[in-house]
Amino acid sequence: MQLTDRNGSILSLRDVVKTYEMGAEKVHALSGVSLNMNRNEYVAIMGPSGSGKSTLMNIIGCLDVPTSGSYSLDGEMVADKSEGQLAEIRNRLIGFVFQTFNLIPRADIFHNVELPLIYGGVGKTKRRELTERAIEQVGLTDRKTHKPNELSGGQRQRVAIARALVFNPSIILADEPTGNLDSRTGEEIMAMFDRLHAEGQTIIIVTHEDHIADHAHRVIRLRDGKIESDKSTTDVAAA
Amino acid sequence: MRLLPDMLESMKIAWHSIIANKARGALTTLGIIIGIVAVTTTMTVFNGMQTQFMQSAGAVGADVVYVSRNPWIMMGDWFLYRNRPNIDMQEAEALEQAFRGRAIVNPNVDTRRDVRFRSESLGGVDVIGTTEKMLAMSNRIPEVGRFLMNHDVRFKKNVVVLASGIAEGLFGDVSPINKEIDIGPYKFRVIGVLEEQGGSTFGGPNLDRQVFIPITAFIKSFGGRRSMNVDVAVQAPNIDDLDDLEYEVIGEMRKIRKLKPAEDDNFTINKLDSLLGAFNSIVGAVLGIGLLVTGIALFVGGIGVMNIMFVSVTERTREIGIRKAIGAKKRSILMQFLFESAAICLFGGLIGISIAALIAAGINASGVMPANLSGGIMIAAVVVSIVVGVFAGLVPALKGARLDPIEALRYE
Repeated sequence: MQLTDRNGSILSLRDVVKTYEMGAEKVHALSGVSLNMNRNEYVAIMGPSGSGKSTLMNIIGCLDVPTSGSYSLDGEMVADKSEGQLAEIRNRLIGFVFQTFNLIPRADIFHNVELPLIYGGVGKTKRRELTERAIEQVGLTDRKTHKPNELSGGQRQRVAIARALVFNPSIILADEPTGNLDSRTGEEIMAMFDRLHAEGQTIIIVTHEDHIADHAHRVIRLRDGKIESDKSTTDVAAA
Repeated sequence: MRLLPDMLESMKIAWHSIIANKARGALTTLGIIIGIVAVTTTMTVFNGMQTQFMQSAGAVGADVVYVSRNPWIMMGDWFLYRNRPNIDMQEAEALEQAFRGRAIVNPNVDTRRDVRFRSESLGGVDVIGTTEKMLAMSNRIPEVGRFLMNHDVRFKKNVVVLASGIAEGLFGDVSPINKEIDIGPYKFRVIGVLEEQGGSTFGGPNLDRQVFIPITAFIKSFGGRRSMNVDVAVQAPNIDDLDDLEYEVIGEMRKIRKLKPAEDDNFTINKLDSLLGAFNSIVGAVLGIGLLVTGIALFVGGIGVMNIMFVSVTERTREIGIRKAIGAKKRSILMQFLFESAAICLFGGLIGISIAALIAAGINASGVMPANLSGGIMIAAVVVSIVVGVFAGLVPALKGARLDPIEALRYE
């Protein structure tokens, strides 16, 4: 069964259920989520804590698999994959941006950005070229030999974005990307996401802040493990 | 090819991790160093003993069988040999006759006597009566002068060849050649001095405390024919024929002694192999115990490394989560930590080998025991270090590799 449509759909979830066992109790983090996203969409996933948005993000990010239901990402049926295959999918198809940046402290900027290519087995010359380009895209070429702790929060998040971009992923998945930044720096980061979207990237941002969600062209709200609303705001953003 | 960048990355991380935790690494390494020093030194001493043994065993000759009354190594069953007849000169001559043209046969007799040169005297020296044929059967080469020759034996000349220890003991720096020494009550003229053999091994004869005289002169001076017990050396023309020769020697000797088919041999065939076997069983057991004890030291060192690797994995839980999120597989994480523990142990091993080399030099300088740190031992020590590292790192590395990326990313 081919769920992906070559021209449009990049990811598709059907009746995704995720249940956790907490002792004797079963917790339904997601209880039947279906959604479809197309290439070059700019989506915000919102919801209060406990709504299941983290679980959904983990499943979309292939860090976790659904208890039941199906998920396909860029033609890959994620639900039946082994751990190693999931690692490959994360490596090739997903660019993560985390709230706490999650850079490797001991490695310099260049090495941090290069890392996905190393795990993807890319040769040295090609790696250098792709890494230089990604660092240039976030405007940190002059900082590439610095360690993360020598950079400001905004710069660190730009490094994380460069790392997410470096392997040319199918989607960029950002989890509260401005949560640890002041609002001005946060806006700069969001401007960067806007630009990447304009260049053709598919971007999914998980957030609880409305002004962040405002950047997206589609807002999906979760409550109690279900989709509460799914609204396109393209006309607003286009204005 | 896909694995290569991943592997290089693992090595790089391992290296950075060790550099970042120098004090911790140094303490951990200490355990491995001690273990490797202990194991390597044990091997070194064993190896030195073996080398020395082989050297002195060269005096026996690998292609020679000895027909003797008793085995060289008697394991507590001496009563079996007590009533055996001595091998006398007539039997030795009969044996020589039997093998004429097929193998060299050389009779040896020995006794212990005091030897003296002017005021210098040495007690209980091994006096060996032999012939010129001995020279071809062993690795004992005259350093100065010459060995016994056929005419010395034929004309029962009172000439003597000294082993190096005797020459040194009696003459010091003076040349012994053509000097007359006393062996018991008889005068012998020194015609040669043998090269040094390197002392005795494990209660064997001290090869540097022997003197050699013509067997004819020996009989004339020290032996009524009856009381002598001859050792007959028979040399195979080719070392591959040694087993066949041994078989034939037994047959001839039984014929000479007119043994009935049902009777057991009342003589023994001795050869290098039986010495080696005895050496290996004794020293092998000592080595085994030594390695067991020192292996425990290494094992404890390995536990230390394992412990520190658990700390390393726990400390880097979040980093493991990050790496997994961006595509590191179990294999990559596993390699990262295995390289780290292997590198710690390899580093410890190299230091340990260096220290063991110093100890070996010290042992040799002390003269108590020989020690020989061979290339083989060094390579073995390096391999053992790495193996210990891999084993010590395996469980912690597996723990890290199996971490759930979501849990790991959440770890503070």
